[in-house]
Amino acid sequence: MTLSIIPYEGKRPFPPRVTPLTVDFWQPLRDGVWQSTACRNCDQLTFPPKKICPFCWSDDMEWRPLAAEGRLYSWTKVHAAPAAFRAQAPYYVGIVDLSDGVRLACPVLPSEEQLPSCGSSVKMVVLGAEDGPLFAAEISE
Amino acid sequence: MSNVAVIGWSASAIGAVQSKPDDALHTLEHEMLAPVIIDAISKAGVDRSQVQSAIFTVPRPYTMQKYLHTFMIGQLRLACSGTVMEVMGNGMTGALAFDQACAEIQLGRAEVALAVGINMETATSASVHMMESMRATGDVDFQSIAGISPISWYAMDAMRYMHDFGATPEQLAAVAVKNRHNASLNPLAQFRDPITIDDVLNARRIVEPLGLLDVPGRSDGAACIVLATEAVARSTGKPFALLRGRGFSHDGSHQIGDRYSDITALPAAMQAGAFAMKQAGVTARDIDVAELYAPCTIVEILVSEALGFFERGKGGLAALAGETGLQGKIPLSTSGGLTSRGHPAYVTSLYNIGELYDQLTGNAGARQVANARLGLSSGELGNYNAALVHILEGIS
Repeated sequence: MTLSIIPYEGKRPFPPRVTPLTVDFWQPLRDGVWQSTACRNCDQLTFPPKKICPFCWSDDMEWRPLAAEGRLYSWTKVHAAPAAFRAQAPYYVGIVDLSDGVRLACPVLPSEEQLPSCGSSVKMVVLGAEDGPLFAAEISE
Repeated sequence: MSNVAVIGWSASAIGAVQSKPDDALHTLEHEMLAPVIIDAISKAGVDRSQVQSAIFTVPRPYTMQKYLHTFMIGQLRLACSGTVMEVMGNGMTGALAFDQACAEIQLGRAEVALAVGINMETATSASVHMMESMRATGDVDFQSIAGISPISWYAMDAMRYMHDFGATPEQLAAVAVKNRHNASLNPLAQFRDPITIDDVLNARRIVEPLGLLDVPGRSDGAACIVLATEAVARSTGKPFALLRGRGFSHDGSHQIGDRYSDITALPAAMQAGAFAMKQAGVTARDIDVAELYAPCTIVEILVSEALGFFERGKGGLAALAGETGLQGKIPLSTSGGLTSRGHPAYVTSLYNIGELYDQLTGNAGARQVANARLGLSSGELGNYNAALVHILEGIS
């Protein structure tokens, strides 16, 4: 299953650095492929992608799909933004608990009728910027 | 191992004094810090020759003079045979400088040691500063990319706490109002005009649900704590504060980790507090006054619960009921706290230790907590991913 790609005007304000490891996260993400590393030794999924499993320290890692759905654990609306993000303020960010047990933080996109709230159902989406993708959570409930 | 005593301190009034790069006349770190160090040693009642260790907080990146610690030693010709160093631990920097200075005394490297530093940052705007600070409080490539400013994490704590426990914005605001009152009684405080709950609720939003008066301002400040062996402390013939307990804990994650957890429980603060209290042979009920590293109103509430002053989910109610005021069950942030006393981040904990010294030696003036004998300070980094707690006892 791939994530929906939402057009994003211009470039990302503070783009990630890509490494020989994370290139396999960011490049497929452009096409909606949502995945991270999992440990073949202890089976734990980790996010962001890692070369070494933080749980058992094995380096026997593989790529696995991440859950595309989850719940908003918490959120905020940022009015006072870091310089690179000022043009976008105010904007929402949140902590998302994916249904596979992974927690992450990302931009949150409210829908027309639905503002974020703790516990909201979300689905992960890709923001397709000119210079590359970002991942974000869209309120789906 | 020697017992450690705090025997005096000095600090600049907190404010916005840093000069801009193109100003004709500058306010420079060494010119501001030198008199603070001399005043602290003088107030402590010791001779400069007794100082054998000086543990400095690292300056902000905006400080032009590098290696400020050894530069300062040169300014004051303060030869040392214990240790001279700078420590860095983000928000925990000041607490770590104090902790390392304690270790210098405990290890017998120094009879008198300084925990000292200066934090200058106000010439840089908040939005530019956040470009730097957000890189410390999140994964640069997977979290900062979303524009998650440092206090966004505390805002998300607040959202979740309100969701889980039904806490209200008024409860958070009560912390700000109480701290402003305390600051109005503190000559070192940056923000001293009284405010009301309505002022806090109606202030410009910064990161929802937190507004301008729920969060710290930008601050410059310089402080120096003088520590000594108990023997030296007794020889001064003055009251002092004895270190009774110390606890440190890191929860093994950075900001939120990648697994479900209860982010408002602050397990590191809980554990560091428990370690320190166990070492001191006391419980939360025995503590008379606490200076918490709490950059936002919500953080003071969460830490007050994690340290055991209040039950989980009851800290906000307690704040609104006045239980953390100067006459309350457990006075918190008697200095005015980070929101009103001011928050020159890397030296904030030095001001907190100084406030405890004043409270425990009866020098807190109009802010004095009656019969304060045991005081607690907490330092943190991240979203309280790590906590460092010290417990001091006043000896007269």
